[in-house]
Amino acid sequence: MTGQESLRQKILDRGLCTACGMCVNLCPYLGAYRDRVAALHPCGLADGACWHVCPRSGLDPKQMDLSVFGRLREDHALGCFSAIYFSRAVSKAPGAQYGGTATALAALALEAGLVPAVAVTGGDALAPKPVLAVTREEVLAGAGSKFTAVPTLAAVNRGQKQGLTGLGLVGRPCQVAAARKMAETTVPGYESTVPPVALYLGLFCFFAFAPEFYGFLSCEAKAEWVVRSDIPPEELVVVTAAGEQRWPLAELKPLVRPGCHHCFDSTAEWADLSVGSTEYDPDWNTLVVRTVLGEKLLALALERGVLEIRPYPPERLPLLRRAALGKKQRVLAGDRELSGLALDFEYEAAVLRQQGGASGDGNGTGR
Amino acid sequence: MTVMAQAGKKVALTGNEAIARGAMEAGVSYVASYPGSPTAEIPGVLALAAAACGHYVEWSVNEKVAMEGAAAASFAGLRSLVVMKADGLNVALDFAGALALSGCRGGLVVLVGDDPAAHSSIREEDTRTICKAVHLPVLEPSSVAEARDMTREAFSLSEFLALPVVVRCVTRVCHASGDVTLGAIPPVERRPVFGREDRVITFSARLHALLEQKMARAAEHFAASLFNAYSGPGQSDTLIIASGPAVFYAREARELLEQEDRVGILKLGTTWPLPASLLLAHLRGVKRVIFAEEVEPFIEDGVMALAAAEGLLHLSFYGKRSGHVAGSFGPGAGELDVDILKEALAGALGLPYSRPVVAAVAQSLGQEMPVREFALCAGCPHRASFWAVKAALELDGRGGVVIGDIGCYTLGMAGTGYHLLQTVHSMGSGVGIAGGLSQLRRFGFDRPVICVLGDSTFYHAALPALVNARFHRSNFLCILLDNETTAMTGHQPHPGRLTTAMGEAGDTVLPEELIRGMGLPCSVADPYDVEKTAVLVCDEMRLPGPRVLLLRRACALVAVKGREKDTVSVDPEKCLGDACGCARFCSRVFGCPANIWDETAGRARIDEAVCSGCGVCAALCPRQAIVVKRREGVGT
Repeated sequence: MTGQESLRQKILDRGLCTACGMCVNLCPYLGAYRDRVAALHPCGLADGACWHVCPRSGLDPKQMDLSVFGRLREDHALGCFSAIYFSRAVSKAPGAQYGGTATALAALALEAGLVPAVAVTGGDALAPKPVLAVTREEVLAGAGSKFTAVPTLAAVNRGQKQGLTGLGLVGRPCQVAAARKMAETTVPGYESTVPPVALYLGLFCFFAFAPEFYGFLSCEAKAEWVVRSDIPPEELVVVTAAGEQRWPLAELKPLVRPGCHHCFDSTAEWADLSVGSTEYDPDWNTLVVRTVLGEKLLALALERGVLEIRPYPPERLPLLRRAALGKKQRVLAGDRELSGLALDFEYEAAVLRQQGGASGDGNGTGR
Repeated sequence: MTVMAQAGKKVALTGNEAIARGAMEAGVSYVASYPGSPTAEIPGVLALAAAACGHYVEWSVNEKVAMEGAAAASFAGLRSLVVMKADGLNVALDFAGALALSGCRGGLVVLVGDDPAAHSSIREEDTRTICKAVHLPVLEPSSVAEARDMTREAFSLSEFLALPVVVRCVTRVCHASGDVTLGAIPPVERRPVFGREDRVITFSARLHALLEQKMARAAEHFAASLFNAYSGPGQSDTLIIASGPAVFYAREARELLEQEDRVGILKLGTTWPLPASLLLAHLRGVKRVIFAEEVEPFIEDGVMALAAAEGLLHLSFYGKRSGHVAGSFGPGAGELDVDILKEALAGALGLPYSRPVVAAVAQSLGQEMPVREFALCAGCPHRASFWAVKAALELDGRGGVVIGDIGCYTLGMAGTGYHLLQTVHSMGSGVGIAGGLSQLRRFGFDRPVICVLGDSTFYHAALPALVNARFHRSNFLCILLDNETTAMTGHQPHPGRLTTAMGEAGDTVLPEELIRGMGLPCSVADPYDVEKTAVLVCDEMRLPGPRVLLLRRACALVAVKGREKDTVSVDPEKCLGDACGCARFCSRVFGCPANIWDETAGRARIDEAVCSGCGVCAALCPRQAIVVKRREGVGT
């Protein structure tokens, strides 16, 4: 069975859904409310696109590398990339995280006509929602990290319904993987001549919080207006109108989505450009350039004075690699079936052979 | 209007029209009702005639209020009629019991429609048992003409006894057509009189004794009533006692078995109190008695008690108690017919009888016939609401329960409403049940509770339960499916409408004003926007209740009346047929009767004949293959 019933039994009912949203709005049988994706009614089909596009239903990193980059990776920690920088927006959008790189790139792609719209995660921290941004203002309104899972890709599918294809996406690693799977799908009726997403702006992500996090935020932050939140290595920081509050990360661990513990990809390895924190300088982002399209967009951003970059400090790279590898190695040590990974022995051995995959607490790099 | 034809003319009327005519011939002044099948048409007919005849007609919020209004008119000396279905008498029963005690002045007729086999009812309650409990006389017409006669005479009888009189009319008489020779309609001349000295008080034990005397007088009167009639040989050993339409089934059974010379039929038109002296006169000469009545063994039990009291121990009884008079659901359930009575009569007389053999061709046809399922109409806003609620329950994921109520949306218990409803009882009861379930949290019940009810039901009996819920801090979501009419019984107006039964301007009472007046939060949405509605239901389920979500969209049957419909069609290029991952969602799952599957084309299709143009299926189609052309010519 490779359809909705499998999705329900093997992914949704086991709490493995990442709420990427790729299966939502494809058919009338699946829906999403906040960060919960659910089967609304059994469709009865043995085979369905919902199963095939799910980032947890089966992911072969080698296959993904070949289809996205045309080659296999050399670095098992960070995947294929051509360059890595510190970057920041020259004019940072209000509310944007760290250097505001992702928001600035998304707005630029839209304004430069590279994409007709960008799927972003809008709304505030307590009620984030998928938004298909067609104006610069809508992109800017999505600035700032949301620490819960939001089915942003549902907005991509909605865009498809309206005839919008070749969209931009600002998404978590699972969302980048799902959208890449969608572009490659051969499920009858869902093959696309123009891929639904043409520009992939990936975000670093080590985990997302479960719905209970909303309750935590609204209780602990005393229901004040959450202006900004951040997860540096050791703690959650919530900045509200009333001031700044901090909680040790250990306290929040129970609120992590269970499915996130089985995720292999923390740096959006199949994005055109991946953006994360620096864990070093809060005014800058880490920017990983992965594809030719990513290189072009960065060049355009520099040319138009949208972004500024500086070299990635060589002494920081091992830390980033260690964090990314640590997550992979923990997944390999855990219940492999739950990860949905299709790895051959050689690949797995290569990951385990990598140096620097310290056990850690898995929070090497916030997004 | 045939029902208003000249006196002396012989016209074909339905049972309900005949009843309306009978009330007018009796000079009725005041008519009140809450609509219910099978009697819902009666006040409608009277409302159309109101201007010509001068009487007053209202659709009251419920049967109790209707009966109270009719009683007031009676207290003031006017003739009044209150119309309801059997379930409605239960709603009015508290007052009816008191009214029986106090008695009345102007003739007051309570016309109750019983629905044996429950064709369009929750249950097939036998009103006679209720009337016996509260001491109200009952007349029971067996034909259309008699429905008119009995209604007319019931007013005089009510005044003679100073007691309301119930006319029990079953579906087969209400909905039948028959010839009626019309009588004259007198002008409404009575003037109401209710002075400071008038008293209509129930607060006295003495009144019960008085009521028993009235019933004894009624029994005496009924013994000589022309509504009771014997037909058959002067000497017979077998007597069928029949009431209602079963009188005709009994006659036909007797004729088919060629027992006219042996079997007598006593037709009882006055079924409570039983005319004891008449019955005894007929019982004394026979050996066996067969009962032909729908639903309960009401006459049967009374006659057997009478026979025992009189020492008529030689009699054999054949009826529901003995099991001889029984349809496919067993004795005491369902309607009677000629075959049932033929079998009963043959059994009592020891005659050979075999059930009619269904011809082989008819049998094979029966097997080929598709099962006719319950279905909400094409474009029904309830379908959209139910899909949204179903989606919301899945999206919410906490196993929320859905409590139902009485109206078109009762079909939410069936496939057409995705089997959502988990309880269905009586008007407004869903709100009380939801309140009770939500109080079980203190014992560990942790499911969200939703109840659905319609607008007319809301006014009818839901308000006290909502007040109770607020006071006791119950926690549930009440979804008010407001289709702006009393749809199931024929679109009668209710207090949320602009005009009354008589077409006069009403002072509209919007549900949201009442709800907010009770201090309950109330959101309003359009169920045709299914996706938004589903999210709203999810949002509301997460907020502390009680709260009300009002899903407002006019009944599709009303919305398209007299207007050009929006046209909906399937673009065969965009519809992928079975190649689409939707698995025929529109025709197979969403299930609107207008969404059909074109076998030859292998594509979805719209049945334009029934499509209301609502466009809900278009919004749900994952391929935008369903195209709505708005009247203005704007494509969507």
